[in-house]
Formats: sequence, C-alpha cells, structure tokens
Amino acid sequence: MSAGRGIGGPSHRAAWIFLAPFALVTLVFVAYPLVQSAVLAVQQTYGPGTKTFVGTKNFTDMSGDPVFWTALRNTIIYTLGSLFIQLPLALALALALNSPRLRGRGIYRLIFFSPQLMGLVFVSILAALMFEKQAGLVNQSLHAITGGLWSLDFPWLESHVMATLIIISLWMYVGFNMIYFLAALQNVDQTLIEASEIDGAGVLARFRHVVIPAIRPVGSFVIMLSMIGSLQLFELPFVLLEGTGGPRNQGLTVVMYLYQSGFEVGDLGYASAIGWVLAVLLIGLAIVQLWIIRREER
Amino acid sequence: MRLVTLITAARGLSLGLWIMIALMIGSVAVLFGGQRSDGDAVVMWVFSPTHRDLYQPMLERAGAEVGTPLDMRLMSIQAIERRMMSGFFSGLPTADLIECERAIVGRAFTGPLEAVGFLDITDRLRDEGLLEKINAPSFGPWTSRGRIFGIPHDVHPVMLAYRADLVEAAGIDLSGVETWDDFFRAVRPLMGDPASPERFALGFWYTHLDNVEVLLLQGGDGLFDQNELPTIATERHADLLARMVSWCVGPDRVAADIEDFSGAGHQQRIDGYGIAYFAPDWMCSIWKEQIPQIGGKMKLMPLPAFEPGGRRTSVRGGTMLGIARDSDRIEEAWEYAKLLYTSPRVAREMYQLTDIITPVTSLWDDPIYDEPDPFFMGQPKGRMYIDLAPHVPARSSSPYNRQAVVLIRDAAVSLADHARRTRTYDAEGLRPEAMRLLTQAEARILRVMERNAFSGVAGGGR
Repeated sequence: MSAGRGIGGPSHRAAWIFLAPFALVTLVFVAYPLVQSAVLAVQQTYGPGTKTFVGTKNFTDMSGDPVFWTALRNTIIYTLGSLFIQLPLALALALALNSPRLRGRGIYRLIFFSPQLMGLVFVSILAALMFEKQAGLVNQSLHAITGGLWSLDFPWLESHVMATLIIISLWMYVGFNMIYFLAALQNVDQTLIEASEIDGAGVLARFRHVVIPAIRPVGSFVIMLSMIGSLQLFELPFVLLEGTGGPRNQGLTVVMYLYQSGFEVGDLGYASAIGWVLAVLLIGLAIVQLWIIRREER
Repeated sequence: MRLVTLITAARGLSLGLWIMIALMIGSVAVLFGGQRSDGDAVVMWVFSPTHRDLYQPMLERAGAEVGTPLDMRLMSIQAIERRMMSGFFSGLPTADLIECERAIVGRAFTGPLEAVGFLDITDRLRDEGLLEKINAPSFGPWTSRGRIFGIPHDVHPVMLAYRADLVEAAGIDLSGVETWDDFFRAVRPLMGDPASPERFALGFWYTHLDNVEVLLLQGGDGLFDQNELPTIATERHADLLARMVSWCVGPDRVAADIEDFSGAGHQQRIDGYGIAYFAPDWMCSIWKEQIPQIGGKMKLMPLPAFEPGGRRTSVRGGTMLGIARDSDRIEEAWEYAKLLYTSPRVAREMYQLTDIITPVTSLWDDPIYDEPDPFFMGQPKGRMYIDLAPHVPARSSSPYNRQAVVLIRDAAVSLADHARRTRTYDAEGLRPEAMRLLTQAEARILRVMERNAFSGVAGGGR
C-alpha cells in the first residue's frame, strides 16, 4: 500500500476532514448520550450531580411498577387504535378521494389534511375546551343532536380519557395518512386494473389482488410511522391532561412516565431504564414488521 | 499560498451560503452575548408581575440600606422551576434569591438534605426572632426534615364564597351554619327540583386536585407525618373521601363540576349554576379581575366544618422566598429577603393589589384589613381571613405530596365509579371502599418513596 492510500495519507486526510463534522455531531449528540443513558439506567440519581449505583434495580422495580404497566397498556391501546381505526379510515378516505367521479376532490383533500397544519399543543388546548363537561362543544353538540338524551356532564376527560385521545388523534392524523395512501393509489398501474376488469374481477377482488399489493410498500411505511409515533405519544396527553396522566393515569403514556420520572422526580436513572425498554420495544416491533414484509415479498 | 487558495475558494461561494454563514455567526454572538447582569448585584427571580411591581419602588432605598443593588428578573414559573432545578442539580449558578411557588418547591426536597439547593435559614429565623413573628403554619411547605428553607410570603386561608344575592333573596340565613351538612340543608331550596336541579350548592368535583386537598387538609391530620411518612390510609381520610364523593354522585348530589379558571367556569359562576365556592384569599382578586359581574353579589363565610367544633378553614397555594445555598451574596440576599417579606408597606400594598394577607402577625393590626370590600357586599374581608389565619392546617413539604394528592384523587374517581355501579350514594356506605382504595394509594406512594435511595425512607414505611 502506498503512503498516499494509507489511513493517514493525503487522500484519506481529506476524507477525515469531510467526515469530521458529522462524526463529531454523532459522537456528541448520539453516541455519548446513548452510552451515558445506559450507564444511568443502572444508577439512581437526584439530578446528574447525586447518584448511586443500583445495578438492575431500576429494571426490576419497573417490572413491579403498576404505573409503568398502566402507561405501557395505555400506549399499546393508543397504538392499536391508531393502527386499526386510524389507518383503515385513512385508506377509506384515500379510496373515496381517488375516485374520478368525486367532484371537488382538491377541497376535500385540503379539509382532511388541514388539521395537520395546526400544532399539536394548540390542538390539545382546543381539545381540552371541546371535551369539557357542560360547556364543551362535543357534549353540547351531542346533547343537541340527541334531543337532550346525551348528558352535558358526560365525563370525557374523567372516565374516557383514552377514547378521547384516540378521537383527537383521528382528527389530527387521518388526513395526514390519507395523503400517503392517496399518493400510493395514484401510482397504481391502471393497466393492471383494466386487465383485471377484463378478466372479470369485481371491486373487492381488484382491491385485494391489485390495489393492496401495489400500495403495500407505502402501507408498510405508514404502519411503521404510525406505530413509532404512537409509541412515542407525549404532547397530546401532556397538554390535554395538564402534565398529569389524568384520573387513574388513564392518559399516561410510556414517554410521559419517562418524563415524569426523569424531569419531575429527578430520577434520571429510572427514566433511562424506561427509555431503554421503550427502545427495545420499538426495535423489536420494527424487526417483526420487516420480517413480515420480507416474508410476504417472497 | 494556502491562504490565497482559501480566499479564491471563498470568492466562489454563493450569496446564500454567505448569508447562512453570517446568520450562524450572528446567532452565536446573540447566544453568548446575551443578558449580562451587574456583577455586584443580588439577582432575584420572581414569577409574578404583581410582586415585581410591589417590590420595585422600594429597591432604591433598600439598595442603599443593604449596600448592594438588587437585579430583579421576571420569569414564568416553569422557567424558574427548570433553571432552579438545573442549577441545583448541576451546581450551575442560579439567582441569589428565588421566589418559588408551592407546586414546584417540593422537587428541591427530593434528594438528601445536604443536596437541597436552598440555604437552610432555620437558625437565622430563630436568632432574629422571625420564627415568632410569622404565622407558624405558613412555614410548613418550606420545611423539610425539620429544617426551614424559605421565608413565607402568605397564609392563604380558605373561606366559602357564596352568592349572597340568591341566598338572601330566598330568605335563607346562613349565619347559623356550622357544618357542611347544615350548609347543604340550608341552601337545598335554592337548587330547585331535585330531579333536574337548576343550580348546585357547591362548585366542587372529586377530580379537582387542589380542592380535594383543601378538604383533606381541613378535615384531616395531614397526608404525611412528622417523619414525612404517608398517613393517607386512615379512617378519618376514608370518611372525608366518602363524604366528598357522596356530594357528587347520586340523585341527591349537591356539587357540580365548575372549573376554577376556565371561561366556562366563570360563566357558570355568573349564571349562578353554583351557589358557593372555595375562596382562598388570592382567589378574590382573580374574581374581581376576571368576573366583575359577580361583584356585589358574593359574601364570604368560614368553611363549614365536617362536624360541630371542627376546623373552619383550610389552605391552598403558597409562595416563599429562598436563598440559593451556593450564592456568593448570602448576607445581602438575606437582608433583601427580610426587607421585602416583612415590610409593612409591601404587606399593605400586597393586600390592596392582590387581596393576599401577610403571614407577619405583627402587621395584622393594620386598619386596611378592616376596610369594607364592595365586591363582598361590604364585608371586612381582610379581617375575616386574618381571624382564620392562625387556624390554617399545617402542610407537609414532602416532594411526594403532589403524587399523594393525585393518588387520592384517583381513589376518589374509583370510589365514584363504585358508587354509581352499586348505587351506594351515602358516605356511610362508601366508607369501606374508600378505606380499601386509600390503602392501595398509600402502598403505592410508599413504593415510590422507597425507591428514593437518598431520602432515608428506603426500607422504612409504617
């Protein structure tokens, strides 16, 4: 190997110089925090200054911590709500808006997508007002529509917190996911559809055997995105429930519990342990999904 | 040669890139060239514009007295919490004097006593006679493990404010009311048809954290004992919780969910949807500012007791002034703290502007507290609060207090569900379930506390 081609040679020196900013940022903002959070996960802290080694205690405590399990259960319920209510609705809307027979499609697209233009915190504040008892728009509307049968005291934010969160997220994200599906639908090869029509395939058969396989890559991406976003849910319940998990922690999510443990209680060790569990969960789900996709592709 | 090459290369850069570089340099300059303080000044963080306006006029004279100027900075309470805790945690500089609200101060007491970022002022208070001059219960929230870390700003007794226009128009006399049962019985005729009430006796709901705590403090013996261990699951607290929930459930419920600070809640107050509300002294100025429509229609009375002879007040909220332990100007900060928090002028103006009574007992004979308040139909509101101030219940500064109240609130929600499910609407019938739920709540808070390796609770418990 010549001197110029060695690791310290001139051509490599240029490569190192160009790599340096990225490497520095990665080391400082990714690698170091990752290592530090792993170290913290085996410590108990009172802020970064006061700490003591506790080994696996944070993890064993977590396994017996009912609040953590409540947070995890809530997060999973919300994720399932996102996957099984939000995405089918988004696909249905995309199919409807993809129909050439529908007039004013552009307007509908804008209407369904527009909630995305609002900040999540702002949406949460508005939602808190809308789901209030007595004066809230939701109870008032349902009361009027049902001719007074719906109680103005219906406790959305007291006994139905998760349902409320899912409804708000439907409003927020159905239009957003619809755009992905719409883009995928518009790229479905029309000749395949026409060929299947000639072969006598009905609407359902065409949807199942032509449309679904064609939009599968986008569908997988949207599922992955929704799943990761749902498992990381924080701002919406945090603002809606004023920083608490709501009555009986019905709205507490894993990331909220991480935040409470780390930044309200000051136990960064326990928060790090929660973070690692969440990371393992996310990585595990991503691997399972990739495995399913690859198996179907074969 | 290389420099020439560099300059030549720089000439070839686009205008956009030059703008980005200029913005980057500008941002760095702004970041690092931010607010500079007078290096000799005592820095103080305050969260209330009203407090700042109260203190500002006396700073010049106070500065001459102390010999060091005071640099007062107004910040949001959240900003104070973040910066204070970051400073305490990491040893970075904070303000010398920090005005702190009860909701955020508990965090400072979570760790070992020697890691509390505030200066322990117990001995100073004792040596200078301030312990005797200040209403004793007001030290509670700022005391951890027997040591005091702040001078109290207030007392915040709670009274019951009611729509006297409605009550008196119906010919109801509340002067003989002593207990909650008396009160609900007396105003029952104002609620209208029991099947479809037009209004409710009390603006209270079992999900309102602060008001649940107000009632627990009024009727109970505190959520933590002197060793800061939880005392949640007691027969007394079970009884109180059962009573609170019984007010809110069933066909004969007397309470309504009326928010304290929302527009909808204010409208319900104007409409007379609720007859009475909890009124700590600070709430009076909020109502005056935000719902003047009820001015001249309200009257205050001591809280009805849970039983004859019981406590007629409670407490809600609170602020203190603490000195950062690592401050370089501790003596100057201490002088300022005394000047600002024990000054007759500040106490008087604080009452005039915010309706808040001072905790300095020697200032309670100021005639300003006897002046009639038109908002409350000419009642001498200040004197009424002062009469109750010595009876305000003691509070714990436990960093777990908020969590304890949240868990009790959760127990109340479960109890209300139980009441509706089993159609058990009386306090007597709800008590056993209340006790079971509070026992669960106490076990949970103990579990959280035992995780804290620094507080000395680990392995403890009752």
